[in-house]
Amino acid sequence: MVTFHTSLDAAFHALADPTRRAVISRLMARPASVKELAAPFAMGLPAFLKHLRVLEESGLIATEKTGRVRTCRVEIEQLAEAESWLGEQRALWQGRTDRLAAYVETRMARDDTHDG
Amino acid sequence: MTAEDADLTIARFIDAPPAAVWQAWSRPEHLARWWIPAPIECRVVTLDLRPGGGFVTKMREDDGPFKPHLDACFLEVVPERRLAFTTALSAGWRPAEPWLLLTAIVTLEPERRGTRYAARVLHKSPADARRHETLGFHDGWGTVIDQLAALAPRLG
Repeated sequence: MVTFHTSLDAAFHALADPTRRAVISRLMARPASVKELAAPFAMGLPAFLKHLRVLEESGLIATEKTGRVRTCRVEIEQLAEAESWLGEQRALWQGRTDRLAAYVETRMARDDTHDG
Repeated sequence: MTAEDADLTIARFIDAPPAAVWQAWSRPEHLARWWIPAPIECRVVTLDLRPGGGFVTKMREDDGPFKPHLDACFLEVVPERRLAFTTALSAGWRPAEPWLLLTAIVTLEPERRGTRYAARVLHKSPADARRHETLGFHDGWGTVIDQLAALAPRLG
Protein backbone atom coordinates (compact mmCIF):
# COMPACT_ATOMS: atom_id res chain seq x y z
CA MET A 1 0.00 0.00 0.00
CA VAL A 2 2.82 2.33 0.85
CA THR A 3 4.57 1.28 -2.32
CA PHE A 4 1.45 1.86 -4.35
CA HIS A 5 0.84 5.35 -3.02
CA THR A 6 4.50 6.29 -3.12
CA SER A 7 4.90 5.18 -6.70
CA LEU A 8 1.69 6.91 -7.73
CA ASP A 9 2.87 10.12 -6.07
CA ALA A 10 6.21 9.87 -7.85
CA ALA A 11 4.57 9.10 -11.17
CA PHE A 12 2.22 12.07 -11.01
CA HIS A 13 5.03 14.32 -9.84
CA ALA A 14 7.13 13.18 -12.79
CA LEU A 15 4.23 13.73 -15.19
CA ALA A 16 3.58 17.22 -13.86
CA ASP A 17 6.31 18.66 -16.09
CA PRO A 18 5.94 19.26 -19.85
CA THR A 19 9.52 18.28 -20.70
CA ARG A 20 9.13 15.00 -18.89
CA ARG A 21 5.78 14.32 -20.52
CA ALA A 22 7.37 15.00 -23.90
CA VAL A 23 10.10 12.49 -23.11
CA ILE A 24 7.50 9.87 -22.18
CA SER A 25 5.53 10.54 -25.38
CA ARG A 26 8.68 10.23 -27.41
CA LEU A 27 9.65 6.97 -25.72
CA MET A 28 6.22 5.47 -26.33
CA ALA A 29 7.27 5.03 -29.94
CA ARG A 30 10.51 3.22 -29.15
CA PRO A 31 13.52 3.34 -26.82
CA ALA A 32 16.01 6.15 -27.49
CA SER A 33 19.44 7.30 -26.39
CA VAL A 34 19.87 10.24 -24.01
CA LYS A 35 21.51 12.25 -26.77
CA GLU A 36 18.63 11.58 -29.14
CA LEU A 37 16.06 12.48 -26.47
CA ALA A 38 17.80 15.69 -25.46
CA ALA A 39 18.13 17.02 -29.01
CA PRO A 40 14.69 18.67 -29.36
CA PHE A 41 14.96 20.56 -26.06
CA ALA A 42 16.43 24.03 -25.71
CA MET A 43 18.21 23.30 -22.47
CA GLY A 44 21.64 22.24 -21.38
CA LEU A 45 22.41 18.57 -20.95
CA PRO A 46 22.75 18.83 -17.15
CA ALA A 47 19.22 20.26 -16.88
CA PHE A 48 17.90 17.58 -19.20
CA LEU A 49 19.61 14.86 -17.20
CA LYS A 50 17.85 16.11 -14.08
CA HIS A 51 14.52 15.52 -15.81
CA LEU A 52 15.62 12.04 -16.81
CA ARG A 53 16.62 11.31 -13.23
CA VAL A 54 13.16 12.32 -11.95
CA LEU A 55 11.59 10.05 -14.55
CA GLU A 56 13.87 7.19 -13.65
CA GLU A 57 13.27 7.60 -9.91
CA SER A 58 9.53 7.60 -10.53
CA GLY A 59 9.91 4.25 -12.25
CA LEU A 60 8.27 5.60 -15.41
CA ILE A 61 11.41 5.00 -17.42
CA ALA A 62 14.40 2.69 -17.13
CA THR A 63 17.85 3.36 -18.56
CA GLU A 64 20.57 0.99 -19.58
CA LYS A 65 24.13 1.76 -20.55
CA THR A 66 25.77 -0.14 -23.36
CA GLY A 67 29.31 1.02 -24.03
CA ARG A 68 29.10 4.82 -24.11
CA VAL A 69 25.44 5.01 -25.02
CA ARG A 70 22.67 5.25 -22.39
CA THR A 71 19.35 4.03 -23.73
CA CYS A 72 16.00 4.95 -22.16
CA ARG A 73 12.73 3.08 -22.38
CA VAL A 74 9.27 3.51 -20.88
CA GLU A 75 8.18 1.22 -18.03
CA ILE A 76 4.69 0.53 -19.26
CA GLU A 77 3.44 -1.03 -16.01
CA GLN A 78 4.27 2.04 -13.99
CA LEU A 79 2.63 4.30 -16.52
CA ALA A 80 -0.43 2.04 -16.55
CA GLU A 81 -0.77 2.45 -12.79
CA ALA A 82 -1.00 6.23 -13.06
CA GLU A 83 -3.40 5.84 -15.94
CA SER A 84 -5.62 3.40 -14.06
CA TRP A 85 -5.92 5.84 -11.15
CA LEU A 86 -7.26 8.44 -13.55
CA GLY A 87 -9.42 5.79 -15.17
CA GLU A 88 -11.07 5.07 -11.83
CA GLN A 89 -11.89 8.73 -11.33
CA ARG A 90 -13.28 8.88 -14.83
CA ALA A 91 -15.48 5.83 -14.22
CA LEU A 92 -16.89 7.40 -11.06
CA TRP A 93 -17.87 10.60 -12.78
CA GLN A 94 -19.17 8.78 -15.81
CA GLY A 95 -21.33 6.62 -13.53
CA ARG A 96 -22.60 9.64 -11.68
CA THR A 97 -23.43 11.47 -14.88
CA ASP A 98 -25.26 8.42 -16.23
CA ARG A 99 -27.26 8.08 -13.01
CA LEU A 100 -28.18 11.76 -13.15
CA ALA A 101 -29.37 11.38 -16.73
CA ALA A 102 -31.40 8.26 -15.91
CA TYR A 103 -32.89 9.97 -12.87
CA VAL A 104 -33.87 13.14 -14.68
CA GLU A 105 -35.21 11.33 -17.72
CA THR A 106 -37.32 8.77 -15.92
CA ARG A 107 -37.87 9.11 -12.20
CA MET A 108 -38.16 12.86 -12.00
CA ALA A 109 -40.60 12.92 -14.85
CA ARG A 110 -42.69 10.38 -12.94
CA ASP A 111 -42.39 12.33 -9.67
CA ASP A 112 -43.53 15.49 -11.39
CA THR A 113 -46.57 13.68 -12.70
CA HIS A 114 -47.43 12.58 -9.16
CA ASP A 115 -46.80 16.04 -7.76
CA GLY A 116 -48.78 17.80 -10.35
CA MET B 1 0.19 11.22 -21.55
CA THR B 2 -0.72 14.83 -22.06
CA ALA B 3 -1.15 17.81 -19.76
CA GLU B 4 -4.88 17.23 -19.77
CA ASP B 5 -4.45 13.93 -17.99
CA ALA B 6 -4.86 15.70 -14.69
CA ASP B 7 -8.37 16.65 -15.80
CA LEU B 8 -11.30 14.46 -16.60
CA THR B 9 -14.15 15.61 -18.75
CA ILE B 10 -17.37 13.68 -18.84
CA ALA B 11 -20.13 14.90 -21.11
CA ARG B 12 -23.43 13.53 -22.30
CA PHE B 13 -26.81 14.50 -23.61
CA ILE B 14 -29.71 14.39 -21.16
CA ASP B 15 -33.16 14.20 -22.64
CA ALA B 16 -34.67 16.84 -20.36
CA PRO B 17 -34.35 20.62 -20.28
CA PRO B 18 -31.64 22.33 -18.16
CA ALA B 19 -34.33 23.37 -15.64
CA ALA B 20 -35.05 19.70 -14.85
CA VAL B 21 -31.37 18.77 -14.62
CA TRP B 22 -30.79 21.75 -12.38
CA GLN B 23 -33.58 20.54 -10.11
CA ALA B 24 -31.99 17.12 -9.83
CA TRP B 25 -28.75 18.81 -8.83
CA SER B 26 -30.03 21.56 -6.58
CA ARG B 27 -32.65 19.86 -4.45
CA PRO B 28 -31.24 17.65 -1.69
CA GLU B 29 -33.96 15.02 -2.01
CA HIS B 30 -33.13 14.58 -5.70
CA LEU B 31 -29.34 14.82 -5.40
CA ALA B 32 -29.33 12.03 -2.81
CA ARG B 33 -30.87 9.73 -5.40
CA TRP B 34 -28.04 9.76 -7.91
CA TRP B 35 -24.94 11.25 -6.28
CA ILE B 36 -23.67 7.94 -4.88
CA PRO B 37 -24.11 4.57 -6.53
CA ALA B 38 -26.62 2.23 -4.89
CA PRO B 39 -26.64 0.35 -2.60
CA ILE B 40 -24.62 2.95 -0.74
CA GLU B 41 -27.04 5.39 0.79
CA CYS B 42 -26.44 9.12 0.44
CA ARG B 43 -27.52 11.85 2.83
CA VAL B 44 -27.27 15.45 1.70
CA VAL B 45 -26.25 17.41 4.80
CA THR B 46 -25.57 20.80 3.20
CA LEU B 47 -26.32 22.04 -0.28
CA ASP B 48 -25.88 25.76 0.07
CA LEU B 49 -25.97 26.90 -3.54
CA ARG B 50 -24.01 30.13 -3.51
CA PRO B 51 -20.32 30.98 -3.80
CA GLY B 52 -18.77 30.07 -0.46
CA GLY B 53 -21.71 27.85 0.41
CA GLY B 54 -21.04 24.40 1.82
CA PHE B 55 -21.60 21.15 -0.03
CA VAL B 56 -21.60 18.26 2.41
CA THR B 57 -22.80 14.72 1.77
CA LYS B 58 -22.57 11.60 3.91
CA MET B 59 -22.90 7.97 3.05
CA ARG B 60 -23.64 4.65 4.68
CA GLU B 61 -23.64 1.02 3.75
CA ASP B 62 -25.88 -1.74 5.05
CA ASP B 63 -27.76 0.45 7.51
CA GLY B 64 -24.48 1.30 9.27
CA PRO B 65 -23.66 4.75 10.60
CA PHE B 66 -23.42 7.65 8.17
CA LYS B 67 -19.77 8.43 7.39
CA PRO B 68 -18.10 11.52 5.98
CA HIS B 69 -18.25 11.56 2.24
CA LEU B 70 -17.85 14.95 0.64
CA ASP B 71 -17.02 18.25 2.33
CA ALA B 72 -16.66 20.92 -0.31
CA CYS B 73 -17.39 24.55 -1.05
CA PHE B 74 -19.21 26.05 -4.01
CA LEU B 75 -17.16 28.53 -6.00
CA GLU B 76 -19.68 29.52 -8.61
CA VAL B 77 -23.40 28.96 -8.97
CA VAL B 78 -25.31 30.05 -12.06
CA PRO B 79 -28.76 28.46 -11.94
CA GLU B 80 -29.49 26.13 -14.84
CA ARG B 81 -26.09 26.86 -16.38
CA ARG B 82 -23.04 26.25 -14.28
CA LEU B 83 -21.76 24.97 -10.95
CA ALA B 84 -18.22 24.85 -9.63
CA PHE B 85 -17.06 23.45 -6.31
CA THR B 86 -13.80 22.40 -4.73
CA THR B 87 -12.69 20.07 -1.99
CA ALA B 88 -9.81 22.48 -1.25
CA LEU B 89 -12.24 24.54 0.80
CA SER B 90 -15.19 23.81 3.02
CA ALA B 91 -18.14 26.08 3.78
CA GLY B 92 -17.34 29.78 4.04
CA TRP B 93 -14.10 29.48 2.10
CA ARG B 94 -12.43 27.72 5.05
CA PRO B 95 -9.26 25.95 3.87
CA ALA B 96 -9.62 22.18 3.98
CA GLU B 97 -7.21 19.29 3.80
CA PRO B 98 -9.05 16.82 1.67
CA TRP B 99 -7.98 13.29 0.99
CA LEU B 100 -8.32 14.07 -2.63
CA LEU B 101 -7.94 17.59 -3.88
CA LEU B 102 -10.15 18.46 -6.81
CA THR B 103 -12.25 21.13 -8.39
CA ALA B 104 -15.31 20.18 -10.39
CA ILE B 105 -16.98 22.38 -12.98
CA VAL B 106 -20.40 21.31 -14.11
CA THR B 107 -22.05 22.94 -17.09
CA LEU B 108 -25.54 22.64 -18.56
CA GLU B 109 -26.10 23.80 -22.13
CA PRO B 110 -29.50 23.71 -23.82
CA GLU B 111 -29.33 21.34 -26.78
CA ARG B 112 -32.30 20.52 -28.97
CA ARG B 113 -35.05 19.80 -26.44
CA GLY B 114 -32.59 18.58 -23.83
CA THR B 115 -29.34 19.39 -22.10
CA ARG B 116 -25.68 18.89 -22.91
CA TYR B 117 -24.34 18.04 -19.46
CA ALA B 118 -20.62 18.15 -18.77
CA ALA B 119 -18.48 17.67 -15.70
CA ARG B 120 -14.87 18.72 -15.81
CA VAL B 121 -12.86 17.47 -12.85
CA LEU B 122 -9.49 19.08 -12.18
CA HIS B 123 -6.94 17.19 -10.10
CA LYS B 124 -3.61 18.17 -8.66
CA SER B 125 -2.17 14.74 -7.94
CA PRO B 126 -2.71 12.10 -5.30
CA ALA B 127 0.25 13.45 -3.37
CA ASP B 128 -1.73 13.52 -0.15
CA ALA B 129 -2.00 9.77 -0.03
CA ARG B 130 0.75 9.28 2.51
CA ARG B 131 -0.63 11.98 4.74
CA HIS B 132 -3.91 10.17 4.47
CA GLU B 133 -2.21 7.10 5.87
CA THR B 134 -0.60 8.90 8.78
CA LEU B 135 -3.96 10.36 9.66
CA GLY B 136 -5.05 6.79 10.22
CA PHE B 137 -7.97 6.71 7.87
CA HIS B 138 -7.31 3.14 6.90
CA ASP B 139 -5.65 -0.03 8.09
CA GLY B 140 -4.64 -1.76 4.93
CA TRP B 141 -5.36 -2.54 1.38
CA GLY B 142 -8.87 -3.79 2.02
CA THR B 143 -9.83 -0.54 3.64
CA VAL B 144 -8.09 1.48 0.98
CA ILE B 145 -10.10 -0.17 -1.71
CA ASP B 146 -13.30 0.13 0.29
CA GLN B 147 -12.54 3.78 0.81
CA LEU B 148 -11.82 4.32 -2.81
CA ALA B 149 -15.11 2.73 -3.72
CA ALA B 150 -16.82 4.64 -0.98
CA LEU B 151 -14.96 7.87 -1.49
CA ALA B 152 -15.78 7.50 -5.02
CA PRO B 153 -18.52 9.78 -4.88
CA ARG B 154 -16.45 12.07 -2.78
CA LEU B 155 -14.67 12.77 -5.92
CA GLY B 156 -17.54 14.88 -6.39
